[in-house]
Amino acid sequence: MDLLLQYLANGIVNGSNYVLVAVGLTLVFGILGVVNFAHGEFYMLGAYTGLILVINYGLPIWAALAGVLVVAVILGLGAEGLLNKMLKERDATSSIIASFGLAVVLQNSALIGFGPSPMLMQTKYSTIGVEMGPVYLPLQQLLIPVAMVALISVLYLVLRYTWTGRSLRAMAQHAVVARMCGVRVQRVAVITFIVSALLAGIAGFLMSSVYMVYPIIGNMIVLKAFTVVILGGMGNVAGAAAAGLLLGIVESLTSAYLGNGLRDIVGFVIVIAVLLLRPQGLFGRTFQRS
Amino acid sequence: MSRISRRHMLGLLGAGIALPALVKAQDSSPIRIGCMLPLSGNGSIEGNQVFKGVKFAVAEVNAAGGVLGRKIELAVEDDESNTSKGVLAVRKLIEQEHVPLIIGTYASAVVVASMKVAKELKVPMLTGGSTGAIATDANTPGDPWFFRFFSDSTGQGYDTANAIINKFHAKRVAILHDTTGYGTDLAKQTTEVVQGAGGEIVANESYNIGDQDFSTILTRIRTLKPDVVYIGGWAADGATIVRQAASVGLRTQFVGSGSMLSDDFIKLAGPASENFAVATAYEASTPNKVGRAFGERFRKEYGYDPGMLNALGYYSAAIGIEALRRVGKPDGAAIQQMLANGMKDFPIGLGPEGTTADFNDKGSVDYPYFIAIIKNGKRVLDH
Amino acid sequence: MKKNLSLVILVLLLAAVPFLVQGSYIVSLLLLMLVYVILTTGLNLVTGFCGQFSFAQGAFFGIGAYTAGIMSRDLHTGFWVHLPAGMIITGLCGLLLGIPALRLKGHFLAIVTIAFQTIVYLGLVQWTSFTGGQNGLPVEPVGDVSLFGAHLFTIDGLRANYWLILTATVVLVVIAERLVKSRLGREWVAVRDDEVLASAIGLNATRAKLTAFVASAAFAGAAGVLMAHYMGNIAPDDYTIWISCTIVAMMIIGGKGSFYGPILGVALLTLLPEMLGDWARYRMLFFGVLLVLAIALMPEGIAGRVRKLRATKEAQA
Repeated sequence: MDLLLQYLANGIVNGSNYVLVAVGLTLVFGILGVVNFAHGEFYMLGAYTGLILVINYGLPIWAALAGVLVVAVILGLGAEGLLNKMLKERDATSSIIASFGLAVVLQNSALIGFGPSPMLMQTKYSTIGVEMGPVYLPLQQLLIPVAMVALISVLYLVLRYTWTGRSLRAMAQHAVVARMCGVRVQRVAVITFIVSALLAGIAGFLMSSVYMVYPIIGNMIVLKAFTVVILGGMGNVAGAAAAGLLLGIVESLTSAYLGNGLRDIVGFVIVIAVLLLRPQGLFGRTFQRS
Repeated sequence: MSRISRRHMLGLLGAGIALPALVKAQDSSPIRIGCMLPLSGNGSIEGNQVFKGVKFAVAEVNAAGGVLGRKIELAVEDDESNTSKGVLAVRKLIEQEHVPLIIGTYASAVVVASMKVAKELKVPMLTGGSTGAIATDANTPGDPWFFRFFSDSTGQGYDTANAIINKFHAKRVAILHDTTGYGTDLAKQTTEVVQGAGGEIVANESYNIGDQDFSTILTRIRTLKPDVVYIGGWAADGATIVRQAASVGLRTQFVGSGSMLSDDFIKLAGPASENFAVATAYEASTPNKVGRAFGERFRKEYGYDPGMLNALGYYSAAIGIEALRRVGKPDGAAIQQMLANGMKDFPIGLGPEGTTADFNDKGSVDYPYFIAIIKNGKRVLDH
Repeated sequence: MKKNLSLVILVLLLAAVPFLVQGSYIVSLLLLMLVYVILTTGLNLVTGFCGQFSFAQGAFFGIGAYTAGIMSRDLHTGFWVHLPAGMIITGLCGLLLGIPALRLKGHFLAIVTIAFQTIVYLGLVQWTSFTGGQNGLPVEPVGDVSLFGAHLFTIDGLRANYWLILTATVVLVVIAERLVKSRLGREWVAVRDDEVLASAIGLNATRAKLTAFVASAAFAGAAGVLMAHYMGNIAPDDYTIWISCTIVAMMIIGGKGSFYGPILGVALLTLLPEMLGDWARYRMLFFGVLLVLAIALMPEGIAGRVRKLRATKEAQA
């Protein structure tokens, strides 16, 4: 039983990471209909920004976090300009291909700029651990679910109770009607992209002290994020949160009981199964697309 | 549409025909030797480390006046660990760059396919880090065209497994290996030897390179109480594993492979690297005088001790260039003969004291590996 | 007529290259291009003509190659068995992938194909007992060709493989053209342009989509078998998602939905790294930038842009 709790705890940590990355993606995907494969690079660049600021420039964590936020805003703006403003009128797959190209550009720039060797943010908190009964988690890992809960709650409140939040939800339902009701569609699009980049960048920053950072970490995480988005239902923030945790836990249990090699495959098998059997996701509502 | 495609194609063909002539016209004093490594894509971290060693060797040779009165230049190709790119790159290096020898490559599967072409075009290849037995096994005995100056992964695995049993007296061994040829071969070899000596393999799990989360699998292994955990792979993942093992409370003897001794590894693994043991052919404090001297020169140049991959790259280039010097001209076939038979006296820095580039029938040099242990953040060789 | 004549001349020229050029590098480069022509033409059938997005062409390429490798190891068969077997097995896998396509559109389908590609790659790498893992599998060269017991010639070595692949490419491209011009091909285009309308007028959209997937996969399977026998050793890293992306990029930059456009894309993207020389370090970067520019500024590809220019010129005449 103890072991199972530990596995669950590990799963929740990983799952929280997935949630942070996936929620941004589900917003962009659900509200704007844009598939952004470069989303993983937001995560990767958030990690590198934090690392470089702390290790090379010796900044304290708070300053590094501010740096990450700035970089994320810039990336969000750029991505929106390319993937949404320019390609909105085209068919759905244009954004996929363009975002792939963008991902390749960002990844290789990072490779050329930072080199392929892995880096890790080692701070004085690195060796502190927290014991909760039979479960042991390093402090930096525990921070992740905590941050996730905080950020997602804030996001949820914003979506529900602010004008911006309502605009986002209106756009998700019907962009033209939303505009007729006074929603400034272009501004909302930019905000959506920026929020998605912020969440992914913060996730990357948090993870840079837990896992190694190198230029290709964006690849796997974006695929996992898409899995979570689909499982949770496109555009469904709460769904993505639940699905992200679920995926993290399933992967952890698979690794423990079935074999580590299967861990990555299980997510992909699940996503294919879900797309075949219940394309609106586990928590989504059926949607019509003409 | 068709007019354009025809013209387009003719133009391309014309350019392609003209290109070799253009390249020949520029062929002046420096001798170009080929270097094919994965510099991007899979294996690029390792490929870049090997490349550093190669460049260092070439720089040293040039600083001493070059070879046969000419400077050495590297013609570099990135094969991305991709067989079809490798095969194409070899032809390009030989026919466009006219290299008399090629240092490469790292992925053993790419080596096997590329060797065929190199042999057909009469240019020998020296390993760029490839350790798989399949590479030297593909040589015709007595007439090797691929040379590797250290034991293949079978030999490495064997030495490590022996250390596990004899030195660490392990009866229960857990294995974690990556999915490359290197990791898989090591795991297989270790399994055979340990089981042959009556030991038990309590776990044999694989991971993909770059996997980040091992907490779950390490927690599970902890419950199995192994005497030794063997990691088959390279430094970056080894560091992640060791670090996470410490945080899940898995305390036992860890034995590693490959470059898991490098300064990089020690830095990334942090205090968890204490008592970590690795079977290695090269370590800066090696008893091999030639190797120690190399380590010192490298450190003077770059500010840190070379790792096994750097040493690999260095000696691949050094052996190749020396063979070129002895032959007296950039003739691939003659260099191959020299490598196969004429380098018995050339000392190299890997392996125990006195190791030389004495290639056997299959193009390999076999010697036992050391065990090095990390104590207080420093490597100590175990004699 | 004129078009056919110039194509025949092109093919004859290509066949003559081994005699016209010194050394083997150009020939091996052209060989690689021809293989990619097969792959990209296949992809064009399902994505360009039928409008179903597939990022899995690399996986089918790999399935074809590994069919040859595994049959060679376990059944001791040769190329002439592997080629049809590879195409059939890969085609069946294409059918498998086509089934989700029946229900999903656009981005969802793309994600499923990416998931499929990733699963195939991970399977090739991890299922070491079956696939040999990262060490790969050896494959014998094509070898002797005999007709009714009389030995005709031996296919071994670069030139022979080049001619074999050139022949295969020509045959497959002709088959693709026949398919596209046939009724089936027109059904594909109808489904691409407006699936609802196509069903409304009585076309079987299911059959169209499934056949498109099967055809494109079979093409990739053939390419896989041919490449396996040429290279002599196959390994999973030749069949990654990046290969799929490259094939997609070749098709897009050349012009999807045009028949010969993708062939242009193949030529451009294969020669690009060779032309870069010392800038080779930045190759992937250029590739990404090119892809973004192409999609943003010239989504119809080079061929499409040419066609547009021609149409405008004609309209002005």
